[in-house]
Amino acid sequence: MKKGRIKVMQGNEACVEAAILAGCRFFAGYPITPASEILEGMARRLPLVDGFCLQAEDEIAAIVAVVGASWGGAKAMTATSGPGFCLMQEGVGLAASVESPCVIVNVQRGGPASGQSTSTAQGDLYQARYGSNGDYSLITLCPSTSQEMFDHTIRAFNLAERFRIPVIILSDEVVAHIREKVTIPDPDQLEIVERKKPTVPMEEFIPFQAGEDDVPPMPTFNTGYKIPVISQAKSLSGNRGNAKEAEAFIHRITRKVDAHIAEFADVRTYGDERAETAFVSFGSVCRSARSAVDMTREKGLALRSVEVKTIWPFPDDLLRSKLTGAKRIVVAEMNLGMLVNEVRRVIRRPDIAIELFSKIGGLYPQPQEFLRFLEEKR
Amino acid sequence: MNPLGEKYLRKNFLPFLFCPGCGDGMIVQAFLKAVDDLGIINDLALAAGIGCSAWIPVYIHADVLKVLHGRAIPAAIGLKATRPSRKVVVFTGDGDGLAIGGNHLLHAARRNIDITVIVVNNQIYAMTGGQVAPSTQVGSRTQTTPYGNLEKPLDGCKVAIAAGATMVSRWSTAHPKALSRTFKKAMNHKGFSFVEVISQCPVQTGRYILGSGAPQFNLQWIKDHCVPVKDPSQMGEVEAQGKIPVGDFLQIEKPEFMEEVQRMNQKVQEARAKGGER
Amino acid sequence: MKSAERIEIDRRYCKGCMLCQYVCKYEVFEPGQERSALDYHMPRPAKVEKCRVCRLCETHCPDMALVVVAKKKGKEKE
Repeated sequence: MKKGRIKVMQGNEACVEAAILAGCRFFAGYPITPASEILEGMARRLPLVDGFCLQAEDEIAAIVAVVGASWGGAKAMTATSGPGFCLMQEGVGLAASVESPCVIVNVQRGGPASGQSTSTAQGDLYQARYGSNGDYSLITLCPSTSQEMFDHTIRAFNLAERFRIPVIILSDEVVAHIREKVTIPDPDQLEIVERKKPTVPMEEFIPFQAGEDDVPPMPTFNTGYKIPVISQAKSLSGNRGNAKEAEAFIHRITRKVDAHIAEFADVRTYGDERAETAFVSFGSVCRSARSAVDMTREKGLALRSVEVKTIWPFPDDLLRSKLTGAKRIVVAEMNLGMLVNEVRRVIRRPDIAIELFSKIGGLYPQPQEFLRFLEEKR
Repeated sequence: MNPLGEKYLRKNFLPFLFCPGCGDGMIVQAFLKAVDDLGIINDLALAAGIGCSAWIPVYIHADVLKVLHGRAIPAAIGLKATRPSRKVVVFTGDGDGLAIGGNHLLHAARRNIDITVIVVNNQIYAMTGGQVAPSTQVGSRTQTTPYGNLEKPLDGCKVAIAAGATMVSRWSTAHPKALSRTFKKAMNHKGFSFVEVISQCPVQTGRYILGSGAPQFNLQWIKDHCVPVKDPSQMGEVEAQGKIPVGDFLQIEKPEFMEEVQRMNQKVQEARAKGGER
Repeated sequence: MKSAERIEIDRRYCKGCMLCQYVCKYEVFEPGQERSALDYHMPRPAKVEKCRVCRLCETHCPDMALVVVAKKKGKEKE
């Protein structure tokens, strides 16, 4: 059985590779450290597969062009970092409101504002979920390695097509730039999901009416459906909705994702699944947590690293199950405490200590620091 | 109802939300006449942002993408790039297109991408209740310039020309025949076409700036103030009189962006097939 | 010389802006008493016999609510 090829690549390169294999044929982006390699990679690769890569005039143009391209029939992606992600927020809401599948990569760097362009951080966690105005749902994936960047990119396109949502890949500078082995499966080994298309003719098609799964079929423009797609809260016909219709619309576009968390939630454990002390982390911090687990194992101590791969919608049930038996939980993140709030919300037990290991300033947390933290804070 | 309307309007969305006498409805009709003459309804992909004029395409039974304020042009680019044979037309206003959307106008014109941008200029932000716009005359009292507008207006046509647009025209709702003809010309033009339409807003511009909310008064004002010029060199003369030059200012042929992209793709693929990197 | 069979004003969409009266060179229209479905006073094509089917009213109607039905050798033509 052919396994595929193995290549040493940066996380950013792996993203490009996976996007092309997933069928992405439209990319629009704006240069920003540490995400520029994705734009550059797509600029080199897309012309070879009859795709189109645009360096847009700003990030807002990039995200809105992606939404336009999605309705034009393409799988579309953009990539940026914190400052650009801020600019794109209205566009994230747009993608959610008009239900256009698309992938948005945010390679986090030090913030706030221009922050630290070449240093890693994880300060955009809430922005990934709540950055835009109003109520909407989306999915956010957090890779920790180049391989995961590859895998999550394929997954992101599939989830975007499945749910008709913007899917955010929340990477960071370490994952973006680290060079490591990536196994690239043969194309025929990949599961690729395509959006549902209408099965009835235009006269019978009600643009924003969905079946049981709350996801309406999505016709590509100029295939005979002539549908009005507006960014307002809408009725089933696509016109502006009255209060009841707007309410129903918002419920549907959130429920279509939130009611199906079990379908895609991904939280993994590394180390002793019954260890009483557990680290919880996402993104590149998982790497250090794993090393800490390995280091303590050598000393004969049990530690587990719980790694959140699908961070939004937050996987309450799955996280709880992965933390069964933990008496001391240390949430490690490169911000002043965001994931820790979710963990505290989910694990509401007075007998379990939930602590925060916070590392900011741009330096990556070493596993020794984790171990020192465990010792000092005992 | 008008037979053109029977043929092309999205009936379940009627009536138009426009105020009585608004120029937007007249632009719908003029545009539909052009579409009917060209027979391109199935190839149309319409994009718009936010504002009164952004509703123009929604009433047309075609594929319409109405996005965020000022961002119709990027949406149009996404639609055009994914299938260059589409006829992509943007409906925007003097606020949506020249203020918040200004940057996108510059770069789309610069690229000479084959889309048509129609800027409906009523010299005000109408939908939000009558605030000043980049096109409002100096001295005008609006909701946000209660003591008189201090800012000079921007000439969208001149900006489009400077940015690289290859077809630029300005007409008005007082010239519906010229409008239809120009819309046709713009949709047939291969490259970035820009059509500004001076349009009446009786309720905001009329009442607050011009002195009357009567539709007839407002259309007459446009007729009186829009002076057709045969040559762009005459624009300055008309402007010096405090009037608005209208006409077909520019039409030239330059390499179109999507064609250049496809040419490049082909070249790159051939070179790769031959074994080279480039 | 063309003449009109009748002028139809669609009461579902008319907003009583009276631009039809304004552009008409033949004084066909007057303000009417009847209200449209949107509650505006509609124009009345009081003097259809004066109509020369120039269709300026039709092309200027901001709501596409007006049709001039022309007479043609006894047959109706739109």
